[in-house]
Amino acid sequence: MIPLRLSAFAEADRPFVVRLGSPSGQRCGDAVLVEAEGNSATYASKAGLFTIDGVAASGLAGDVLLIQPREQRAERLIRATSPHNTLLVTERCDQLCVMCSQPPKKTHVDRFALFEEACMLAPENMLIGITGGEPTLYRHQLFDLIERIYRTRPDLSFHVLTNAQHFENDDIDRMLGPAYARVSWGIPLYASQSALHDEIVGKRGAFSQLLENFAILMRAGARIELRTVLLRGNYPALPELAHFVASRLRCIEAWSIMQLEHSGFARRRWASLAVNPRLDFAPLREAMDWSFLHQMPVQLFNIPRCALPEDYRRFAVASISDWKQKFLSACDGCRERDLCCGFFEWHPDQDECAKVTPL
Amino acid sequence: MSLYPLRLRALPNGEALAVNDSGSFFTLSPAALERFERDTLNPQDEGYLTQHGHSLDENSSFDRMSHAYCVAERLDQVGTLDYLILVPTLRCNLRCSYCQVSRADIDQHKYDWSPDTLAAVLDCIDAIQGDHIKIEFQGGEPSLRPDLIQAVIERCERFAHRQFVVCTNLQCIDDGILTLFDRPDCFISTSLDGDTTRHAIHRTQSEGKTRQFFDNLRYVVERYGPGKVSALPTIDASDPPPPESLIDAYREFGLDSIFLRPINYQGFARKRHKHSREQSHAWRRYYRRFVETLIERNWSDRDQVLEESYLSICLRRIFWPGNERHVDLRNPNPMGMDYIVVDHDGTVYPTDEARMLARSGIIDLAIGDIVSGWDSERRETLNRHATNQFDPTCQHCAYQPFCGRDLIDDLARYGRIDVPRTETEFCRRHLHLFDFIFELIYSDDPAVRYSLTRWLRLPETPVSFGTMLE
Ligand code: SF4
Ligand code: SF4
Repeated sequence: MIPLRLSAFAEADRPFVVRLGSPSGQRCGDAVLVEAEGNSATYASKAGLFTIDGVAASGLAGDVLLIQPREQRAERLIRATSPHNTLLVTERCDQLCVMCSQPPKKTHVDRFALFEEACMLAPENMLIGITGGEPTLYRHQLFDLIERIYRTRPDLSFHVLTNAQHFENDDIDRMLGPAYARVSWGIPLYASQSALHDEIVGKRGAFSQLLENFAILMRAGARIELRTVLLRGNYPALPELAHFVASRLRCIEAWSIMQLEHSGFARRRWASLAVNPRLDFAPLREAMDWSFLHQMPVQLFNIPRCALPEDYRRFAVASISDWKQKFLSACDGCRERDLCCGFFEWHPDQDECAKVTPL
Repeated sequence: MSLYPLRLRALPNGEALAVNDSGSFFTLSPAALERFERDTLNPQDEGYLTQHGHSLDENSSFDRMSHAYCVAERLDQVGTLDYLILVPTLRCNLRCSYCQVSRADIDQHKYDWSPDTLAAVLDCIDAIQGDHIKIEFQGGEPSLRPDLIQAVIERCERFAHRQFVVCTNLQCIDDGILTLFDRPDCFISTSLDGDTTRHAIHRTQSEGKTRQFFDNLRYVVERYGPGKVSALPTIDASDPPPPESLIDAYREFGLDSIFLRPINYQGFARKRHKHSREQSHAWRRYYRRFVETLIERNWSDRDQVLEESYLSICLRRIFWPGNERHVDLRNPNPMGMDYIVVDHDGTVYPTDEARMLARSGIIDLAIGDIVSGWDSERRETLNRHATNQFDPTCQHCAYQPFCGRDLIDDLARYGRIDVPRTETEFCRRHLHLFDFIFELIYSDDPAVRYSLTRWLRLPETPVSFGTMLE
């Protein structure tokens, strides 16, 4: 696992964002490496000297860090060499999904200004994820962030994970602007029956609100990635959802169907929530077949390739971010390992879903 | 509950097919049909209709937007010019009995592009925006002028995506034309009417020429693989070859796509084959038998999947709105916009059929010429009627979202475009074809389902290709 939080000591007393230079890549404004020893490195920056512990300086070159002197902590907001960078804009949420991997908190710390600084320092053409909690609880600040960054860094693009409960008709004009051509919205939909969807997300009326907000997003020409996590509760209804998507949500750019992550609420509810497509592929297959028949762009996340029949493997994406991905010892000789998503670092090896059959 | 309009088509077994404006379809059992007629829908019906976007709640913007999106997706988006059909020469080294273009003899020299025409074609290519171009070389026999083909192809190097198709009778392949064929972006399209005897009847007419053609076809297929070559048969509807033997002839060369066309009655063909003015019932029976034979073949021998090209185009149109670009069948179908035909004398026609009509003196549908342009009054007049959406018959037809409009065909056959749809050959042909396709879609014969799966390029055969309201 790649650590995203490191311990740090800094002269400054207020949090600051900085990009780490290196002997081979120093840009104006970067912190300058002054001393490196094993897994500890000291830098000089406009905010004074600081030391980072835990990773060798060579592994940090070009990273954008948020240094929090009081907490003696550094957050690697943007890792220069990774395609998987996400900014967590809030931990608050108005839904309470049964399987939430990052259960929401009541408090909110506004870090938009720091994130904006970080994005400005990101490598060229990077796709940056924005997640929560529910980012659109602060949607005006989010829109400001997106638009301001677009003005200086039109090369960057964003993927925002949102429950899409908070868009309003007034947002349409704004979202028709050019900045939003570089934004895609990852929106969960768990079932086409309102009661079932509402039950899963823990919010009454969520489904009908979601549909109305899809209408707003459609009018805004927004790019939508639909997301469906497979659960015991919605798995049998997946083919019906496929019918719904193929007839009513034809505007989407992608439909990501994903296996549950063993963390957050799902960890303790695993036995009652998890489904294993390796043992029961039928509903998923039926949903995929219907989608392909109607040219809906299905992709599978977090499902190891060996769990799928051969003809369906090419739709599985190596979706698990590098810093939290692992493979099992049995995976060693597998021919498809490079294409495979593997497992979340925290997935229990003895779980049924982890019974792999190397290809 | 309120519903978006559904158009019905009765099926032979008392069931009905229902299709909405966006082409979303299902069938109704006789019982369900009765509930519709009496307005006594049950909760399952309502659930189904809502899930599939047929219901309309005035207060729901989602109902309106998702429906509007699907209808818009159905309409073909016609872009700017990126497809040229070029006729560098009208001369030909064969004299096929159904030749559609009133070809010219090989030694008559005023039937090739002049230097000015060539220059204007090259200017036209330079003016094309975007990074995509497709050019089809028709004739006459275009391979008689490899120099002109080459000049055009060389001018296209700047396009990232380019495709050239040389439509040739493959009677004679020399080094000049082989250099062109060697290019990975160059493809060969030819005619193959069946086995050697068949092919000789209307085309080569002599044993020597027949052998030459078959040798050349074999040569190019072996040199480049079958992916490089496509072939079309032209069928004399009054005496069609047995489907098996036609399929065998194509299989022999590894060709898997057969575009079954009856003789087009324009040009010389009109004089010699009077009966071909309308496709007869016999033709439709033959067509059906041919497709059924293909399906059996695909099922009994899984090594190769064969298709009838036009059936596949129609089938994919049903399931893939907005994703196929076929100028043969689309709606709206404006002329002279994204593709044009440039004749041997530089005249610009909207379609190849229009060129043939003019050549055979039936009606002059030229819309301009390559030097002075084709943004003409004529083109505008044609394009005022380029959609089936508001045709009083099509408006009630279940197949309207999948079907198209072919002004040129109407003009060719009837000299006018306002003949009631159902009395046109275009309509009869498509009604028959879509009836047949929906029969296949709802078939439970595993052989049919297997072929549909492959024609629609699916990984596996789905549980069903269409739903039914019981
Ligand atoms: S054996 Fe491991 S690497 Fe191979 S497909 Fe299965 S999970 Fe992936
Ligand atoms: S032309 Fe005929 S088959 Fe086509 S939509 Fe019109 S009425 Fe229907």
